[in-house]
This record gives sequence, structure tokens and C-alpha cells, in this order.
Amino acid sequence: MTPFPLAAPERRTLRQALACATIAGLAAILLLALSGWFLTGAAIAGASGAAAAAAFNYLIPSAAIRGLAILRTAGRYGERLLSHQAALTAMADLRGALFGKLAAQDSRTAPDLAGGDASARLIGDIEALEDLVVRRPSRPASLAAALFAVALVALAGWQAALALALLLAALPPLLTLAARRLTTGPAADAAEALGALRTAFVDYAAARPEIIAYGLAPRVADTIADLSRPLDRARAALARGDGIVAGLLAGYGTLAAALVFALAEGPAPIRALALLAAAASVEAMAAFARTALRQASVEQGLARLATLAELPGDRAPPPPIEAAARPIGLDGRTLPPGARVAITGASGTGKTRFIEALAGLRAPVHALTLDGTPVDRCTADALRRQFALAPQDSVLIAGSIADNLRVARPGIVDSEMRAALHIACLDATVAAMPAGLDTPVAEAGGTLSGGERKRLSLARALLARRPWLLLDEPSEGLDAATEAELVRRLGQWLDATGTGLVLVSHRRAPLALAKERIAIAALAHQ
Amino acid sequence: MALQKQAGLAWIIDLGGAALFAWGIADGVAAAAAGQPVPGAAFAAMLAGGLVRAATAWAVPVLAVRGAQASTAPLRRGLVEQLLGSGAAPSSGQSAVLAIDHVATIEGYETRFVPARVAAAAAPLAAVAIIACASLVAAGILIGTLVPFVFGMILAGTAAKRASERQLEALGDLSDLFVDRVRTLPILRHFAAEERIARQVGAATREVANRTVAVLRVAFLSSAVLEFFSALAVALVAVYCGFGLLGLLPFPSPETLTLREAFFALAMAPEFYLPMRRLAAAYHDKQLGEAARTAIAAVPHLPPPAAEPGMFAGIAARDVGIAWPGRTVGPVSLSIGTTGMLALTGPTGSGKTSLLAAIAGQIVPSSGTLTAAAPGGIAWAAQHPLILPGTLRDNLALAAPHATDAAILAAIDRVGLTPMLAGRGASLDLPLDHRGSGLSGGERRRLGLARALLADRPLLLADEPTADLDDESAAAITALLRGLAADRAVIVATHDPRLIAAADAKVTL
Repeated sequence: MTPFPLAAPERRTLRQALACATIAGLAAILLLALSGWFLTGAAIAGASGAAAAAAFNYLIPSAAIRGLAILRTAGRYGERLLSHQAALTAMADLRGALFGKLAAQDSRTAPDLAGGDASARLIGDIEALEDLVVRRPSRPASLAAALFAVALVALAGWQAALALALLLAALPPLLTLAARRLTTGPAADAAEALGALRTAFVDYAAARPEIIAYGLAPRVADTIADLSRPLDRARAALARGDGIVAGLLAGYGTLAAALVFALAEGPAPIRALALLAAAASVEAMAAFARTALRQASVEQGLARLATLAELPGDRAPPPPIEAAARPIGLDGRTLPPGARVAITGASGTGKTRFIEALAGLRAPVHALTLDGTPVDRCTADALRRQFALAPQDSVLIAGSIADNLRVARPGIVDSEMRAALHIACLDATVAAMPAGLDTPVAEAGGTLSGGERKRLSLARALLARRPWLLLDEPSEGLDAATEAELVRRLGQWLDATGTGLVLVSHRRAPLALAKERIAIAALAHQ
Repeated sequence: MALQKQAGLAWIIDLGGAALFAWGIADGVAAAAAGQPVPGAAFAAMLAGGLVRAATAWAVPVLAVRGAQASTAPLRRGLVEQLLGSGAAPSSGQSAVLAIDHVATIEGYETRFVPARVAAAAAPLAAVAIIACASLVAAGILIGTLVPFVFGMILAGTAAKRASERQLEALGDLSDLFVDRVRTLPILRHFAAEERIARQVGAATREVANRTVAVLRVAFLSSAVLEFFSALAVALVAVYCGFGLLGLLPFPSPETLTLREAFFALAMAPEFYLPMRRLAAAYHDKQLGEAARTAIAAVPHLPPPAAEPGMFAGIAARDVGIAWPGRTVGPVSLSIGTTGMLALTGPTGSGKTSLLAAIAGQIVPSSGTLTAAAPGGIAWAAQHPLILPGTLRDNLALAAPHATDAAILAAIDRVGLTPMLAGRGASLDLPLDHRGSGLSGGERRRLGLARALLADRPLLLADEPTADLDDESAAAITALLRGLAADRAVIVATHDPRLIAAADAKVTL
């Protein structure tokens, strides 16, 4: 897990958490050991008559026992709080850094994380890493507790101490080995079975209309139940692994206690102390078992995160975006700045692909150039200085209407937003909303209809002030009257700003904005 | 009783192991204090106790997961039926989360939380009963700590519960923000907004982290209370027994302790709060499991199966609109009688398949009036037909279980799949997997059409029946549909101009 080094403040917090965990671990062992010593000593003194009982110093041990109970509590609380604090701030930094890394990628080559599955997995991976950070102090604290227990047992002679030291030294590798043997296979099987089940389920869900029409839901449910069995088996095997490791730990503790007691020498109170210290020390090693058991399940996630963290490129400060308009070349023909063209063709012939290639979102299929340079050799930055896209599927960020408009460029003021919304024929709708520009746009829809989302995305493209506007089906989902008004206002805006236009539309009205039509089928591929 | 609850009771056997171990060490220490050699029985009891504890620690999760899966497997099966059998169910991705991930979360709840809850209700009392055999006062002390413990848990627990719920919520919001911005990254990069948004994401995550730390101070109080009382129980028993053995108790004691009894009580004292600590360790599983149950409870139940479908009298739709969050289809009007062919057309994504589903009565329109066809009267030839693992015969006969091989072969011939079968040298026993591996997209589609023919229903809905077919095959399928329209109603959703031309009427979305 070293590809994710922690920053200095988090490392310091983790060291404090480790100190607390160590205090708690030592206090827990000492509490039991001292109690055993105290009881045995008191019994011997009590049996030797009143004088011996009165001479027995009970004040210090009994006060120490109560103090240790409080110390153990405080230590555990501090450990939990501090390790969670370190993990939370570390993960906040990691999320920020990962996002920055992803943001610095070129959309044409970046890993695709847009799907719900990929992003949900990313969240899960970060949580797994967070859990590892939380648990990080527990292992060195266990070791400190083990050393302390060996030191206590050494009061009862070197043989007992040596036996305990050997037993405790063997325990972490034993636990790791057992956990690895018991969980690596099932964890991989479970991940694979889960993937297969999910794929099959999504495939079947796509056939929902037939399933309903023919009443086949019970049949399909049986089929999916068959597919779930390997997953259930793998998860049961993982639970069995948990059980075996827990059982191993429980048995080991009694074995260590019995062995230490058998080898312990000296007065009875010291032997009682050694016995209870040995039993408690094995219990303190449980942290190793937990970490070892989780290892197989988190390894893949950590590897995925490491791949993302090692992507080349870093976030650079944004370059000033104002740029002179450049001509577009397609298949030998040149579109000078300010040209307005419509790309026409039947659906499925690649019009959206064409427009997204100009926007720098996808690799081009057609022979396209910008200022004489083939588009696939243009940097993403050169492309985004020229083009502002209102895509077919309006992609909005979760946030308010204003948040979405502010994406277009830095320093947009409210009056500019209202002007852009007016051209997009959305101003009246937004004005009628109680919260106005601050109305939240819930993820994937919510408060806005499809047509409204489309026009919001159009307003965003207008606000970007790029030399070229790229519109993909701008009026889909609009009634004829609104569509006509939108086309009129857009036409005025294009005239006033001299912005160029590349348009794709199935509908007739928006085509009036273009001065020229180009059939996509006639364009040469690269 | 469910196995996972029995597993909880198995922790009481664990208590027996603990008692055996405690007796062993008490006996050994008493012998040592008396200056005698430690008897072999003491060691035997210690090791036997350890064996019992090891066996229960192993058995509890094994039993619990078996019990949990005995309840989650039927739950998942029922959910799949609900989710795939209803047009009103959530999208396929969300459905998969409900039927697969949420069910797995409930399995975790049943495996880890349920046994801990059962044990927490029964095991502390059993521990007190065992300790009472050695020392009534020690048992009384443990019960006495229970009163302030419960009081403390109520005080800290209520605040902690609220705090931890707030924390879960804030972290959930943060995850949502992160996922949303990752999802929209291409468009953010396009507008050169990634630097600004990255700073915003960084600031939001830091802010939530700082707020959460404040919340955790309270959220961890309840575990601190638990930790404190379980430490205090040991300390009080140790101090009482020590003073009792010295004969220095400040109050008249009802019992005279021996070292063996005192040591036994001390060794057993941690067992009193252990079940509660196990329960606390499973608390996260409880929270997640309850959230999963709530989400699953919101899945709509299937309507009861309709009686015999009534006579099919055609379809009439007026101003029908279908709405989802962020998307609308229509309004559209159409009508078709008991025979004839109607073509629905419109660009990709305009909602042709959704309109077919509304006509089939699988989804309810948000506006307009529609006389939907009765379920059981509809054959559906899908764009991506359902293929279940099994033979070609099984798959074709899904909608007509009593079809003879001759009828199945005839249907195969009508959709033009005979050359495919002959070319592979295959029969109706051709095995198929759920992806229909080995079949082309066009062949799969024709398989769906053959199934619809065998179903022989008065209304045939065909989704893009000629897409991906060469001209000759498309013409054959068009002719087949035209022929079928002579004695039943056929509605096709299509882009194909030749198929549209062959239809009696056209509706554009």
C-alpha cells in the first residue's frame, strides 16, 4: 500500500494514534496481569494471618488497577478518534489528488470512469484504503503489547519469557499464511462470480419486455439463482476462513497461557501475573488476524487505485482561454472562422462522433483538421480553445443551474447567465423557479425536463465564448413554437458575435441556422 | 430457529469454554499459592477450554453464513422476479445493485450482526450465572455495573447514533459529489473547468473531513462507555476479591472467598461485556443492512397475474406521453385494429421501444389515454432477444411450451434461420448460452421473431426487426410481417424505409 504515502500532518496524527493504541494495549495487559498478581498475593497474605494482611500493601495495586481501567478506555478512544481523523483527512487528500490526476488526462485516451459501475468501484476502493489507514496503528501497537507481555513474563524466568516470545513471533506469519491460504482463492472466486452474475443480470434486464410479455420472470429468476450459487459458495468459504482464523487465535491464546504457566518460576503471584499477561498478549494480536483476512479482498482495489495514481500528467494551472479563431478543414474543404454548416446523414452514420472529435472528446474517424493540423494531432487544449459543445446527451453536473453555467469559463456574472438563458429560451422557466439560478439540478435529471437540460447545456456553450459553437440536436424535445423562437434567437446571437457553427440535427427548423449542408457520407475517413 | 440465531446461541457454548479455562487457571494458581505442584487436571481444563473456544469461534460464522444464505437466496430470487417482471422497475444498473449488492449487504448483516445480537441478549446473563457459582458478590458487582452502563449507553448512544447517521450521510454526499464530477469529467475538460472543479472537490472533501472529525468525537463516545465498563468490571471484581481475601472489606460479606473462587471470578469477569463488544463490532453491518432493507422494500411488487386475456380489440392511443426524470416521449396518437401493420419511426432515442412497452401495458403513460393490450395477448420480437442457457428448442418454445418440433422447425423456416441450422449441421438441440454466443445479431433477432410466431398472439410488437440484415433478408422479413398482418395486428418500431413503406400507417415520434 506504499503507492499512497501520507502527508506529514496525517503521519503525525497516526503516530499519536499509535501512542494511544500502545497505551491502551499495555494497560489492558497490565490490568489483567496486575489483578492476578494482586489476588494471589492478597490470598497468601490473608492466609498468613491478620498481621501479614495488614502489612500487605494493597493501596498501590488497587489504585493502579482502577487507574489502568481508565487509561485503557482513554487510550482506545484516542486511538479510534485519531486514526479515523488521519484516515479521513488522508482520504480527502487522496480524492482530491486522484481527481486532479484524472482531470489532467486527455478525454480521448483517459480511462472511462463515466459508468456507474466504475465510479462506484472507485468509491469502494477508496473506502478499503481508508480502512487500511484506520487499522495501521493497530499492528505496531500489538507488537509493543507483545514485547511488554514478554517483559512481564520474564519476571517469572527466562524459559517462560522465551516460550512466549517464540509463540508470539510465530503468530503473525502463521495468521498471514492461514488467511492467505483460506481467503485468496475464495476472494478471487467471489469477485469473478460477482462480475459474471452482474453481467448476466444486466443482459437479462435488457430483455425485460420479452420477459414480461411471455411471463418468463420465474424462469429467468431460476436461471439467475443458478448463477448466484458460485458467489454464495465463495462467500461461505470466506466466512469459513474468518472462523478458522478466529478459532486459531482462541486456541493459541490458551496454549500460550498454559505453556507460560507450566514454565513459570518464582512465587505464586508472579506466576499468576505471567499467566494472565500471556493470555492477554495473544488477544492483543487479533489486529494481525483482521488485517490478514481483509488483505485478499482489498489487494485488487489497491492495485486499481495505484494504476490511477500512476497515470502520467499533472494538473496544470488553466491557460488563458481567449484565442483567435482558426479554420476547420474537412476532406479538402476549408471552413473559415464564422462559417455555419450543418452535418447531415441518417442516424448511426457518425455525426455525433464527428462533432465529439472536434470537441476533443473522442478520437476522430473522419479526415478533420484544425488550422491545417489533423485533429488527432492537435492537443486537447488547442481544441477546447476553439470549440464549445452542447452535446446530444446534455451532461450536467450535480449542483445548481448557476454552478452548471459557471463551468463554461471563470468569472461569469449573473447578468451574463441570464442573457445566455434568454437566448436558450430558458430564462422564463428559470425565473419562475423560486430559487432561480440557485435551483439544484439533481443528478441525471430531477427537476429539469429533457428539453430544459438540453437548453441549459446550450446556454453553457454560449457562455464559453469560443470561436466555434458545436450543436448536437439542440432542439430535441421542444415544441414547434419554442423551437422556432430558439432558432431565431440563436441566429441573432451568431450574427452578433460572428461565432462559427457546426450543427447536427434531425429536425428541419435548426437547419435554417446553417448556410451550408455537408453530407457526412461524402466525407473521407482518415 | 434460523441457523444464524443458533450461531448466536453457540456463543454460550463459548462461555462454557471460557469457564473451563478459567477453572483451570484458578485451580492451577490456587495450587501454586498453596505451594503444591500444579495438577495435570488444571492444564487439561485450560487446554480443553481453549479447544471449545476455538471450535465455537470456527462454528459461529460457518453456521451463520449458512443460515444467512438460506434466507438471502430466496430473497434474491424473489427480487429478481420483481425487478425483471415489471416495466416499472428501476434501470438495469440500479436493479443489479438491488438484487446483487444489497442482498450481499443483507447477508453480511445476517452473518455478523444477527448472531451478535442474539448472543448479547443471552450470554451476559449466562456469564453472571457462572460467576455466581464462585462469588455471589462478584456477580452482583457485574450486574451493578449494568445500571450505569445502560444509562451511559442511552446518553452517549442516542447522541452517538445521531452523530454517526450524520456522518454516514455527509460521507455519502461526498461520494456522490466525487462520482458526479468523475462522471462529468470529459465535459469539464472540454470547458477547461477541470482545474476549478478539482479545487472545489478538494475543498469539499477537506471540509467534510474536518466536520466529520468533530462528529466522530461524539460518535465514538458510546464505544468508549462500553470499553470503560468492560475494563471497570474487571477492576472492581479484582479489587473486591483482593480485599475479600485480605479480610479487609469495609462491609460484612455474605461469603468467604478462596483464591480459587476469586481467581475464577476474575478470569470470567471480561466475559460479561464481551458479547456487547462483539455486538458493537458488528454495528456497521447493522447500519448497512438496514439501509439495504429499506431500499429493497421500495421495489414495486408484481401485480397478480391477470385472468384469461380478453378479446383483443385493437389499440387506440391519444396524446400519450411517457415521462422519466429528465426525459419525455410523445405526446403521440395512434390506432390499429385487429389486423394490419403500423410502423413507429423516429430518431434513435426518441422512445420507440418505450412506446411499444406502453402499448404492451408494461409501463404506464404519464399523460393521454391508451387502451393497452391485455397481458398474455402480446408477442414481442425484441431487438436483443432473451436467450436462456439451454437448447435452441427450449429457447424457441419459451412462450409456447407445448409446441411440437415440427411447429418449431416451421417457425425457424419462416424467419429464414433454416440455412443457419443446416450450415452448422445443428438441430434443435443446439446448445445456447445466455449471450447467444455463436449467433450473429441478425440471427438472434430472427430467433426472437420465431419465438413470437410460435407464441401466436393477436398482437405482435417487433422492435427493429430488419436492423443489421442484408437487403434480401430484410425483404423476406418485411414480407413475412406483411403476411402476418393479414390475421393479426403488427406494430413495428423501425428506421428501415422499406419496412415503413410496407406498413399500412406510419407514426413519427
